[in-house]
Amino acid sequence: MRMILGLLLAIAAALPASAQTLTLLRNIDAPHYDPHRTTAGATTEISLLVGDTLVGLDFDLKTITPLLAESWTVSPDGKLYTFKLRQDVTFCSGKKMTSADVLYSFNRVLNPDTKAPFKWRMGPVKEVRAPDPYTIEYEMTAPFSELLLNLTNFQGTIVNQANVEALGKDFGVKGVDGTGPFCFQSWEPRNQIVATRHAAYKWGPPIYKNRGPAKYEKLVWKIVPEEASRLAAMASGQVDMTYSMPDQYLPQIAKLPNLQVLRPEADLRLFYLGFKITRENLQDVRVRQALSMAIDRKQIVDAIYFGNGEAAPGYLHPKTPGYSAAAVPAFNRYDPVAAGKLLDEAGWTMGTDGFRHRDGKKLSLLLYGFAGGRSPKVAEAAQGFWRKIGVDLQLQMWDGTIVFSKLAQQDYDIWSIAFPYSSAGDALRLYFHSGNIPSPNRMNWKDPETDRLLDLGNTALDEKERFEALAQVQKLVQEQALWVPLVHEGLALVVNKQVKNMRAHHVYTSMVYKLLDATP
Amino acid sequence: MSATTAETNVVLPGRASVLRRLARDKVAAAAAIIFGSICVISMLAPWVSPYDPYYTDLTIVMQPPSELHWFGTDNTGRDILSRIIYGTRNTLLMGLAGVVIGGFIGGLLGLLAAFYKRADGWIMRLVDILLAFPAILIGLAVAAISGAGLGPVLVALVVATVPLVARVARGSAVSIMEQEFMEAGRVVGVSDFTLIWRYLLLNCISTIFVFLTLRFGQVILVGSALSFLGMGAQPPMAELGMMAAQGRDFLFLAPHIATIPSLAIFVVVLAANLLGDALRDVLDPRLQQ
Repeated sequence: MRMILGLLLAIAAALPASAQTLTLLRNIDAPHYDPHRTTAGATTEISLLVGDTLVGLDFDLKTITPLLAESWTVSPDGKLYTFKLRQDVTFCSGKKMTSADVLYSFNRVLNPDTKAPFKWRMGPVKEVRAPDPYTIEYEMTAPFSELLLNLTNFQGTIVNQANVEALGKDFGVKGVDGTGPFCFQSWEPRNQIVATRHAAYKWGPPIYKNRGPAKYEKLVWKIVPEEASRLAAMASGQVDMTYSMPDQYLPQIAKLPNLQVLRPEADLRLFYLGFKITRENLQDVRVRQALSMAIDRKQIVDAIYFGNGEAAPGYLHPKTPGYSAAAVPAFNRYDPVAAGKLLDEAGWTMGTDGFRHRDGKKLSLLLYGFAGGRSPKVAEAAQGFWRKIGVDLQLQMWDGTIVFSKLAQQDYDIWSIAFPYSSAGDALRLYFHSGNIPSPNRMNWKDPETDRLLDLGNTALDEKERFEALAQVQKLVQEQALWVPLVHEGLALVVNKQVKNMRAHHVYTSMVYKLLDATP
Repeated sequence: MSATTAETNVVLPGRASVLRRLARDKVAAAAAIIFGSICVISMLAPWVSPYDPYYTDLTIVMQPPSELHWFGTDNTGRDILSRIIYGTRNTLLMGLAGVVIGGFIGGLLGLLAAFYKRADGWIMRLVDILLAFPAILIGLAVAAISGAGLGPVLVALVVATVPLVARVARGSAVSIMEQEFMEAGRVVGVSDFTLIWRYLLLNCISTIFVFLTLRFGQVILVGSALSFLGMGAQPPMAELGMMAAQGRDFLFLAPHIATIPSLAIFVVVLAANLLGDALRDVLDPRLQQ
């Protein structure tokens, strides 16, 4: 190992330095880069670099900062937000950004024809108005405590109407005209993405010392699914930065003289297996609970994550705003014997072939997941655990560019995914509201009580009342074993030491955010 | 690959003489023994493998070869030796299925083309079209449409084998067609089916068989490559190509996970090819002077 890496370092020394280009490495590509029409994490970082949102988010993932809006006020009833926009903002194309662009962008997300999956993050909007070129009035039918936080997400990106209409279906594929610190240049699917510096940029969020323009002239993302190749490319200095370094290599990386591992201040990210409860074999809650019980999360953290994470007995990390410890059910702890008993009770008896059967049918389940990264490895570990209690799990892994369309279908039983969240309200509303069926509520969980509590949790002005409602939701959905929570994932940004002043963020999976301070 | 002389004496050599001649060539004998052992061991997989190839144990992941696990364990703690034994079986069966189905369809097309002159042009142009697609590309295309699995791999292997066999079969059959006994058979009113089955096929079979044994190694290699690319066998199935693919993520940490299955592919394909070569030397009538 050391010899190989030493060799790579020698190669690195011989390579010419291209100081003005920052090369980033990632394991998967996104289906497209239209910020309004996707939930793909792979879209986030690029959308947030080539585009901006009204407000920004600090490294703590809680504090809201000015961005395109220099200030804002909230009415006493919590229903009306008034934003004052900066007057010096331009798109990459040179067009000046005004309230008309904000109005167009928000209405595009809200328009049902856009089919924006994160539309609900915009809150119960009554009307968005632009009384003058630099003011936006955002009026809702009910208070929505997480509006500002949600507006920092990429679905709140401000786009250029002329550009969207000119490109039509190719918007986000052939181009995106945004106001971000970098301008979208080209995209070769599954190979690379190129963006160049936005020279006029000077409105970066105040969390950066440098408000713009960025120090690097050019950004190049290389998509490399091969894990060993990513390690080799980082170690040899061919690329400058990656957030998709396999866990097994992190201990080695930390020892290399030319690389550093940065950790974000806040990192709420859960890897879970979701159940489609409308599928025949998963309708019985006992089966779902047994499946959760049969997995030893600690072993997965140790053997698959190499310690880069924590076992997750509940859906939310204890440091999540709104977390309820009382809502974590006991059956998410490893107990294969009890799991077997539950399956017996549910009528699934062990056959001579080592699998369970009921009415002559084998207990067989089909899982869809991502073809790259941790997903296949965790899925295989789950497969091993379930095999021991007589459950047959079939795996079908899909490439990152098609996986979301596959996950939106109804012909599989279980899916595996990791998702970032900022609070209990955010995570629960995203997945468990019936309005989000079929995706991301892929469980097909349709429960009026959950919906009512979620709405209450998002609209109540009093924090205690909100958290009480959200605690009830946590109890409700966790008792139903809609997911198998597995690991609170650790996040690491591996950076070449030639890149100075870099700090890891974690805004909706983007660890680079605006990249303004990073200096060659 | 077209037929050479019309005077070729086409008679299948006796079984005893085949074995005797195989034994005379040391390389061939070694290949036959190795390949035979591989086949026997892998077909007896459930009885000879030391562990369940699908039993994971996350407490013993990526262990190097040891007394307990001769080939070590993989990244989910499964015994690699057991997975190699099962994997070889799956790989061999996949190759066998590809060669048998491809050989049947291809051979039939070739014989029909030689027998029915009017269909000749059509069949052989179809064969030419099939020949233009690389097998890996077909596998990727089929897997993209229907989802990855052994099905797409089998389709790719068959499609890649059919045109080659068809050409060999036709070449051989065309020379038989010129023999007088074919004419004689027709004159006495033997049916087309009997002519093709008894007169044509039996006289071409050794050529086709030799070609298929040579093809076997290639087919295994293509099948493993497709599985390596993630288009074939799906986890947790033990299959040599897929095992190599899974191991490459840990190449810098535990090189044995990827190298052992790769070596297994190497040995199986080498043995199959050497055996194919030797069988050709023994069986191909044109090489018997």
